[in-house]
Amino acid sequence: MRVLAANVEEVFREAAARWTLVAYFSLSSLFVLLFAVAVNLDVVNGALAGAKIFGKSVEMGGRSVDLDRLVLGFESGFAGFLYVVGTFLAIFATAHLVPRLQEKGTVDLYLSRPVGRIRLLLSRYVAGLLLAGSNVVYLLGAMWLLVVWKTRLVHPRFFLAAGIILFAIAALLAFAFLVGTLTSSTAVSIMATFALFFLSAILVNHDRIAAALTHEWAAQLVQLLYHLLPKTAELGAAVVALVMGDQGPARMQKALSLSPFLSTGLFGAACLALACLRFRRKDF
Amino acid sequence: MGAAVEVRSLTKVYGQGVGRQGIRALDGVSFQVERGQLFGLLGPNGAGKTTAVKILLGLTHPTSGKARLLGLPVSDPESRRRVGYLPEGHRFPGYLTARQTLSIFGRMSGVAGDRLRTRIPELLSRVKLEEWADVRVKKFSKGMTQRLGLAAALVHDPEVLLLDEPTDGVDPVGRREIRDLLRAEATRGRAILLNSHLLSEVERTCDRVAVLRRGLVAAMGTVEELTRRGRETGDSPRGYRLVAAPLTEELIADFRERGAHPERVNGHVRVLARDAQHLNALVDSARSRGALLTELTPEKTTLEDVFVELVRAPEDPS
Repeated sequence: MRVLAANVEEVFREAAARWTLVAYFSLSSLFVLLFAVAVNLDVVNGALAGAKIFGKSVEMGGRSVDLDRLVLGFESGFAGFLYVVGTFLAIFATAHLVPRLQEKGTVDLYLSRPVGRIRLLLSRYVAGLLLAGSNVVYLLGAMWLLVVWKTRLVHPRFFLAAGIILFAIAALLAFAFLVGTLTSSTAVSIMATFALFFLSAILVNHDRIAAALTHEWAAQLVQLLYHLLPKTAELGAAVVALVMGDQGPARMQKALSLSPFLSTGLFGAACLALACLRFRRKDF
Repeated sequence: MGAAVEVRSLTKVYGQGVGRQGIRALDGVSFQVERGQLFGLLGPNGAGKTTAVKILLGLTHPTSGKARLLGLPVSDPESRRRVGYLPEGHRFPGYLTARQTLSIFGRMSGVAGDRLRTRIPELLSRVKLEEWADVRVKKFSKGMTQRLGLAAALVHDPEVLLLDEPTDGVDPVGRREIRDLLRAEATRGRAILLNSHLLSEVERTCDRVAVLRRGLVAAMGTVEELTRRGRETGDSPRGYRLVAAPLTEELIADFRERGAHPERVNGHVRVLARDAQHLNALVDSARSRGALLTELTPEKTTLEDVFVELVRAPEDPS
């Protein structure tokens, strides 16, 4: 635990010193404050009778809107948005952890301690996840509390969406760690991880892409990649589906199936295992 | 009780693969460092010194041979539990203060928080950084960073110290303080392996020295043994510092004729004598020409002389 605590402290201190932590939380706070100040809802008997955004009244057409559905719609949209933005911010904030550790003059200081290499790498992985997780939880938690305060509606599923977002970040961070151990480059780690995110999202249409290809081998390659890579699009859909619950369309509920979680988890575990293997055998 | 550091037939080949011979950084190197001993590892750039230290710390894996720290194989992370290391060109995170640096690296070495609360001020005082305890490392000079590195190497009270160029960038006063600190640590029973280019430092500090050359141990022994061996085995004439007045041109010419290769240096003359007879003949000549001899000092063979001779010597074909 001492090793883990020392690594977590160092990662957070570094994030603070490099303004990552400040930027991370300032942007999140700004977003939360903007929402708190800009949106004013007039709730009558559990229904939305009127709303003001930035002081301007929203035309309701004399109708009252089901507040529960409206809030769920906002929360699911916001959670989906945060899935993409939160993941990108997390990779930006943590992709340097392995390349910096492997720098000449730095790696000697860490590896000369009585800590196994795998333990050291995993400690930094956990520290990176905690940094990313603290921001996701802060942003979702603050927004959730604001919604509760403004509407008196409690949707715990919105807050639980943080779990799926963190799961996706964990898989992508494992990939960033693998690229980091192989290349010792922060830029390459970030670029490769973003490329993976988009490629996986595109591969959600794997059947249509494969059908459009003229070569059989290319079609098979697309299918293979789809099954191997993390399911970033499906996980994004799962975030929205989780927040909507049974209020969403029936097709959305399918997004909460186990298979994208399993294959993404396997991908992340494999990347982390390969990163550990490479780090353990590397000569410095 | 076995040696604190034990290296046996250690070989490391970098970049070896199918169709590639690779670079042989170490070629069957053996040495050991006992408790309480200050051992200097010398050699020109690329001789294999840093590779040997990196293998001892598990930073690099050996191709063959054995290395043990306090009886444990270096592949076991526990072998580093009681080892302090100061790497060359180390880069402590600049955003940490000296206190935070020692706290983080202390905990990574398994030291409890309570113990660190007393240990850190004590160490900062020993390396004369107590007033800089809460200043970020990025503001430190090279010498201060080096002293912090030494404190970080000592934070967990290790039994073995591996130091790579510990006085690099440190001013003469600081160098003396580090030398004294290392001596004190050796007296307390620490085994210290010192890897340095500063031969005068090693000569003053170390009990025993090994000179590496192209991955092989070219010589090993105490400083006295090595410098004596240099005097005894050397076929070349020995130099003397001769102070006499007047040092006329005729006398210098006579020395030259007698094969003493005289050189005027800052008011005295340096001569080379093949043996005692040759030296006495030179002195007689000086006296016969009316020169009054006030000083005749044999030039001391330094570790640097031995080092340069070993490094320049042609390789043994065997």
